[in-house]
Amino acid sequence: MSATDPSAAAPRPARAPAVRSGRRRGSQRRREIAGLLFILPAMALVVTFFLIPLCMTVWMSFHNWPLMGAPRWTGLDNYAAMMKDRRFWNAMNFTVWYSIVATIAIFGVAFPLALFVERTGRATSFYRTAIFLPVVVGFGSASLLWAWLMNVDSGLFSPAAQALGLTERPVNLMATTDGVFWSIIVMVVWKTAGFTMILLMTGLQSVPHDILEAARIDGASRFQQFWRIKLPLMKRTLALALILSVAGSMLAFDQFYIISNGGPRNSTLTAVYWIFSQSFVSFKLGYGAALSMVLLVILVVISLVQLWLLRSPTGDK
Amino acid sequence: MFSKLTRGSVIALAIGMGTAATAQETLSMWARTDVENFLPQVVAAFNATHETQINVQFIPPGELVQKFATAAAGGSAPDILSLDLIYTPAFAAAGQLADLTDLAQALPYFDHLSPAHLQAGSYDGRIYGLPFSADSSVLLWNKDLYAQAGLDPEVGPTDWDKILEQATAVRALGGDIYGYYFSGACAGCNAFTFLPYIWAQGSDIVSEDGTKANIDTPEARAAVELYRSLLAADAIPQGAETDTGTNFFSAFASGNIGIATSGAFAIGILNSQYGEMNYGVTYIPGPDGTPSSFGGGDNFVVTAGTENMEAVGQFIDHIYSVEMQTLMAEFGSLPVRGDVAEQALTGLDARYGVATDAMAQGRTPSTVVYNDIYNSATGPWLQFLQEAIYGDDVDEAAAIAQETIQMILDEAN
Repeated sequence: MSATDPSAAAPRPARAPAVRSGRRRGSQRRREIAGLLFILPAMALVVTFFLIPLCMTVWMSFHNWPLMGAPRWTGLDNYAAMMKDRRFWNAMNFTVWYSIVATIAIFGVAFPLALFVERTGRATSFYRTAIFLPVVVGFGSASLLWAWLMNVDSGLFSPAAQALGLTERPVNLMATTDGVFWSIIVMVVWKTAGFTMILLMTGLQSVPHDILEAARIDGASRFQQFWRIKLPLMKRTLALALILSVAGSMLAFDQFYIISNGGPRNSTLTAVYWIFSQSFVSFKLGYGAALSMVLLVILVVISLVQLWLLRSPTGDK
Repeated sequence: MFSKLTRGSVIALAIGMGTAATAQETLSMWARTDVENFLPQVVAAFNATHETQINVQFIPPGELVQKFATAAAGGSAPDILSLDLIYTPAFAAAGQLADLTDLAQALPYFDHLSPAHLQAGSYDGRIYGLPFSADSSVLLWNKDLYAQAGLDPEVGPTDWDKILEQATAVRALGGDIYGYYFSGACAGCNAFTFLPYIWAQGSDIVSEDGTKANIDTPEARAAVELYRSLLAADAIPQGAETDTGTNFFSAFASGNIGIATSGAFAIGILNSQYGEMNYGVTYIPGPDGTPSSFGGGDNFVVTAGTENMEAVGQFIDHIYSVEMQTLMAEFGSLPVRGDVAEQALTGLDARYGVATDAMAQGRTPSTVVYNDIYNSATGPWLQFLQEAIYGDDVDEAAAIAQETIQMILDEAN
């Protein structure tokens, strides 16, 4: 465009400073408008599908809002009822416990894998793909698959264990809380560790080679290189992976709904499951909305704490 | 069935065109897919003989309530519904249904309509739902396995001692053959088949006026004890504990189960798809043999604000006609009109008779919080059964269930 603009060819000193600043203001303005136009579609999506529903949820949470019939304003009643809702807080406790265990398990598996696939080698891309593959399976389908694997009569684990002589009788994994809980943890690790692995791998690869080389020349051991250089330099990636993993676990629903139905004896009921159940089984949309708001606040707080813990020591963002 | 359906709609279409000059009225109807095997025929017969045409849409049972609620909010709710009867009170309480009391009481055969349906279809002393399709809970026993185990194959279990004794005898055949089956992790299945064990003793888990929880009782514990002793005798397969209802029917149909709790619907499927199966049908007994049953099925309801009540009245007359009651019976729904039941069942499998008797004595919990208490996978009913039957502390299980049910009732009242 500048090539066809005659003013661009004009000698610079001839231009008055006032005109220049005016032109700059004009072009800056144009750029601002163009920028606004570029983000407008995204803004429209966020407003329509996030902000408006969010405000609607807040509004609903102050009502007795049945699935059928007229809503009735009840102020803070839903929030007061929640304080006494032992089943919600049990579900919340379970969700926190699950999130801690799942996150540790995912990182425990994903970190060694990331170190393993970080190096460039002939087979590495094969391993990366193979380990990442379960991530592209939807949580619903993965849960259905595992529900079958765990089935005591027609599944895989129990009949296989019996055939191998590991157990005398078929063991019903779904019958005990521990059986369900640890089976789901294994399933979730299988399903999501690949994603965390890729995240961590990019973090590891972003560590500048010259720093590592300098460390090597100074005689740092492999462990020291990892602990003192790589780990601190990938803090931001760690924060991202951690927040994604914790937020994902706190919102767990599909696997518990499909595999265990929250059982046995409601012992694997997660917070979102309880919200679903209150909203669409008991038809109390208003109460479900109030529970959702509380879960949202808890999640935001947890995420902020994580960001604060993993902030960069130098103060830059 | 497809051809029947198309034929029906062709007739309907022809009639529709023929009467196009007169004001053409259409009633929209929704039904859950469970009634898909007979409703199209019933509607086709109606459309062929009436000016008003009925348009049926089938909805998966799990989505019906949500879909109806959304449609009602947007003003596009159907005029009439075949609604799982347990939802009638909740729909009526939400002001979604038309009051059918006067219309119902004017029916000459009103006194012969299924009491369980009417009980569930009433709210605040008014009638909002009329019986449409019916399914009662019963026990099935496998006559071949009985013969192999040295039991009389023609006599099913008549009381609790017999259940335990016969289930144990069948289990003694060993291997994959077990004496008794129930879906241990299915809330709805157990409302259908386990509640009758409590009812047969003259008790219920909620007081009659629906205000007091009543599950921490000797009667509920006795019923639990029956299952515990069946478990102790190793008569129940391991998978039962975690069956969420997937094998509710198929476990017995596999031919490896001596006695199973089930419903009248099973007779239709067993006869049509498992022809070689040699089985008997009997009542769910109490400890001393008093029979009891859960009266399930669908109620016919009308959405509030529906204007064409005359056509609604015609459809009601139509479904209670002897022809339609017979047609529905053929396709696996029990007659809901007592005075013509015998006529409708003539020539059908005699085992339907037991199920029809069971229906006549059937009970149905009538409460707006049916889902919360009984039907929910996370509700107190299922939690109680799992803890009491498979756990070690029946007292604690009963106490927790009592407290939770009371909480739900208090909140609703």
